[in-house]
Amino acid sequence: MDDAAALRLTVRRLIRVIRLRRAVFYGLRGLAWGLVLAVLPVAFRSLLGPVALALAAGLAGAGLLAGVLSGLLLRVPPGDASQVVDRAFGLHDRVATALELLAARDETALALAAIRDAADRAQGLDPRRAVPWRWPREARLIPIPVLALAILPYLPPVPLPEDIVAPLTPGQEPEQQRTKAEAPQVADRPAAKRPERAERVELQEREYAQRQAPTPEQARGDLAAVFKDTSVAQKRPDFSSFLKQGDERLRLLERADSLPDLQRDFTQSPYKVVFRKSRTLLSGIDPNQLSRERLRQLLEEMNRMGRRGGSPGGEGDWSQDVWEGSEALEQGQMSRALDAMERALGKMRAMEERERGGKGLEGGRDRGGRGRDASRGAGGDGEPDFGEFEGSLPGKGTNPGWRGDPTGRLGQSPIDMGVEGQARKGRKEAYDTNMMGRGARNPSRLPYMSVYSQYRKMMEDALAKESIPFDYRSQVKEYFQSLEER
Amino acid sequence: MADERTETFVRSYEQLKNEVHKVIVGHEEIVEQVLVCLFAGGHVLLEGVPGLGKTLLVRTLAACLDLSFARIQFTPDLMPADIIGTNIIVEDTGGRRHFQFQRGPVFAHVVLADEVNRATPKTQSALLEGMQEGSVTVAGVSHRLPMPFFVLATQNPIEMEGTYPLPEAQLDRFVFKLKVRYPAIEELNEIVDRTTRPQEPTTDRVMTAEQVLAFRELVREVPIASHVRTFASLAVMATHPQWEGAPEVTRKYLRYGASPRAAQALVLGGKVLALRAGRFNVSLEDLKAIALPAMRHRIIMNFEGEAEGIDADRLILEVVEAAETATREGKEVFLR
Repeated sequence: MDDAAALRLTVRRLIRVIRLRRAVFYGLRGLAWGLVLAVLPVAFRSLLGPVALALAAGLAGAGLLAGVLSGLLLRVPPGDASQVVDRAFGLHDRVATALELLAARDETALALAAIRDAADRAQGLDPRRAVPWRWPREARLIPIPVLALAILPYLPPVPLPEDIVAPLTPGQEPEQQRTKAEAPQVADRPAAKRPERAERVELQEREYAQRQAPTPEQARGDLAAVFKDTSVAQKRPDFSSFLKQGDERLRLLERADSLPDLQRDFTQSPYKVVFRKSRTLLSGIDPNQLSRERLRQLLEEMNRMGRRGGSPGGEGDWSQDVWEGSEALEQGQMSRALDAMERALGKMRAMEERERGGKGLEGGRDRGGRGRDASRGAGGDGEPDFGEFEGSLPGKGTNPGWRGDPTGRLGQSPIDMGVEGQARKGRKEAYDTNMMGRGARNPSRLPYMSVYSQYRKMMEDALAKESIPFDYRSQVKEYFQSLEER
Repeated sequence: MADERTETFVRSYEQLKNEVHKVIVGHEEIVEQVLVCLFAGGHVLLEGVPGLGKTLLVRTLAACLDLSFARIQFTPDLMPADIIGTNIIVEDTGGRRHFQFQRGPVFAHVVLADEVNRATPKTQSALLEGMQEGSVTVAGVSHRLPMPFFVLATQNPIEMEGTYPLPEAQLDRFVFKLKVRYPAIEELNEIVDRTTRPQEPTTDRVMTAEQVLAFRELVREVPIASHVRTFASLAVMATHPQWEGAPEVTRKYLRYGASPRAAQALVLGGKVLALRAGRFNVSLEDLKAIALPAMRHRIIMNFEGEAEGIDADRLILEVVEAAETATREGKEVFLR
């Protein structure tokens, strides 16, 4: 036998062992579940009659068979099987490598040596030692259903609700009564319920009779009849008690108009769309080099939306401005056309703000700039502004040109706390400024969160980049953690 | 034929190791890994406190090999030209002057870059091309380095004042980073004995350049199974916190993972270990045995890892374990 055949034979034998072990493993698992299922027909044998035992045996057998079959038929890749051999016998992946070399038809000197070496070592190995017996967890539970199956036939059948049993076994009633008469020794146990069942059957018949011809009054009273005999019928919902208890969430629901409209995508509003286009059109371009065609398209688009902007000629109607812009464009007056477009944009924005009302995502908090804008006349007809540029230049919110990023202070989180400094003792190098008036009582403050995050970042950089002695690192980290907790 | 070559390799390897151990006491693992690196065709970075015999090990190894040896003591004022060489003006017999390339110490088979982190990054990077390409370029002219070219660099983890930690690109070019530990008491006694006798031990040259090159070729022929190769890739990928299969420890403590060179180092080192054991294939155990030296210098901790003082070696062991589990995941219970 050559090396390749010897190796393949070893792996085939191992695969056979794996299949057998699997058959036992999955067979036991299937048997366990089959036995659990078999308990059901035995327990409810009164419902199924003589077929119950056959059904139970069938379920247990089917579980076992399904498990064994799946164990036998489950695929065993030869590569995986060879790794099992290697691990089990400490062959350092010799067999797996050799099989791959055989499959690849590698005939280099080292490959042939590897195959020969693997075949030599694999010969005479007992594959049964490579695959240990494994027992499924369910196997430990097998005694429970077996015990149940052994005891249940000697116990009375599980009582079922009569309204289920009665319709399913209408022909069994006389037979059971006859059995009862013939076997009086079991009549003192659950059979005591049987007269009641007879009464229930009568009751059902009476109700059927009612439902066959319900009067309107009876039909109305059906729902009350459902609760007639229950404790629920005595209770009435008292919704006002929730409000009395002061549930804030319910109160919030009363003010639905102040809740943010989360379903609305503000970025896709007509104003935003037109605004973005106008910004793209105007950004960084000399007004004299503007494309007339694009400006006309923009004005036409604004004109299309203009009709929705309120009463004609009213505050929210920008069609007049658009018309003026178009006319100016026809006459070649670009700056006039731009002015008209800006006015129209201002009106669109005002309408947008009105529509949003207090429903902005800013939680009803008055936008810091709005009050200031009002004093500057921002958003008005006289001075249209592009609201997007707020903050581009501190104190110059109406300037449409970008002049750099907003300052750190403007960009910071509004939820911060100002920490007052403490004057140190001793001689100071700086001059004291004599201040008078209300401002003198105002201490200087630093925004805590913002400053803290800056220092924390510096600390992280220092720990990551600089050679801080190891013993000090945890100390530095703990110090900043304690600050964070405060 | 293969058996003969393998047997020769095993015999020569053992002979070389024994020669080195005539001078070097202990450090079995370090010597083993230096030799693995020599035959894998890579370069080694030795890290340890002064006096542990790093330089002596390199000098001894060079003495045991029939190869040229150069030692460069890295200092802050060392310039790239001091390593690579420079063009000088020479006058021939006819009185004509022309530039002639004066070779630097890098033109040796075995180069000891002693205290490599004391030189500036500019000088450190002078070694980059030589380590990767096996050639250096001066004034637009490329010069081949002698083969085999083997760089052994040493660095001191303490006394960081006035040093320039090696950049990641340079670190990545070292196949292994070895940590030289302090010797045990018995080893220390032996060191004292050997070094205080009238005659210090001497070594013989047991391997030529041609033999080293032939062994390097032989090593590359060693076959590797696909699942072993996959394990190497998984171990490297498991160091990347962005990878979806990365273990929790990686996501928590690592900022950057190992480069593909780590996988190459694992496989090549594994091949040498397999061949040294007289085996013709690489096993998972071979890769696991060299995972630490091949990967410890290729991972970068994040802030959490640095602050918690996580040991790179321990982390790599966990990552390797996770990679091994991942290779068996999804397999049926009898094949796991």
